[in-house]
Amino acid sequence: MARAFKSTPRGFTARLDSTERELLRGLFEDVATLLAPEDDGAAPGEEPDPLWAMVGMDPRTHAAEFAAPTDPAELRLLPDAVQGDQDASLEYRRLTETTLRERKIGALKAAALAMESSALAFDAAAANQFAQALNDVRLVLAERLDLRTEDDAERISSVIDAATVDDVDEYLALVYNFVTWLQETLMQALLGSL
Amino acid sequence: MTAPTDVLPRSETTEQQELDTPYVLLVWNDPVNLMSYVSYVFRSHFGYSETKADQLMLEVHQQGRSVVSTGALEQVEADVAAMHGYGLWATFQRADQG
Repeated sequence: MARAFKSTPRGFTARLDSTERELLRGLFEDVATLLAPEDDGAAPGEEPDPLWAMVGMDPRTHAAEFAAPTDPAELRLLPDAVQGDQDASLEYRRLTETTLRERKIGALKAAALAMESSALAFDAAAANQFAQALNDVRLVLAERLDLRTEDDAERISSVIDAATVDDVDEYLALVYNFVTWLQETLMQALLGSL
Repeated sequence: MTAPTDVLPRSETTEQQELDTPYVLLVWNDPVNLMSYVSYVFRSHFGYSETKADQLMLEVHQQGRSVVSTGALEQVEADVAAMHGYGLWATFQRADQG
């Protein structure tokens, strides 16, 4: 059974049992996979173009067919930056999306790695990064659960008893509530330390 | 040959005015992000006080959106990228747009 995050002299600490760690690791890895670009623009076995690499740009984002993600969960993680202006949003996306993906994948991979140990202990920077990874997992689960309104949130938060769960949505809701609980305890510990 | 100098200052002024126009960063409400998390992000990223961060967070929650920061385009664009890193639903626009 998980023990909540708290602020201690050793940093922000929590405990998770092996089932919980296995579950979370799978979620962190799934979301990292969702965010991974499909290919690097190079043919199989070929190195990415060194000129693009040298200028720090990504050929994919400058391709003619470059567009916003079509998967709603991926779009929620990488949202449009300019309301009601698709062209401006796409231009912003060309300049920032690769970096944003890399940053999110980095946080998710670090979070997956932290699941190796039952005792979690983070400094403030690592705790901040872990909170981002938990939040991205929650955003994707919420999208899969069709969570759109405060009423949906209320309904989903009432699924708390594993014994009564009998379909995939209820299982996802239970998982969502667990990740929410863990993130909330981390936020309370972090806010208390600011 | 040189360009006529009398037209240059005027066009520079226009460009300067364009650069000086402030932009705003809006954060939009969604039913997923925790109130505690949103406050934490406002405090840790923008350095806002607890009172200011909580007030902005409640504005987002109750009014559907809030202007969280104002500044030059480059700064606001960077802040939007940071908010997207945190998973907050942020957009930017010129301050004089609705």
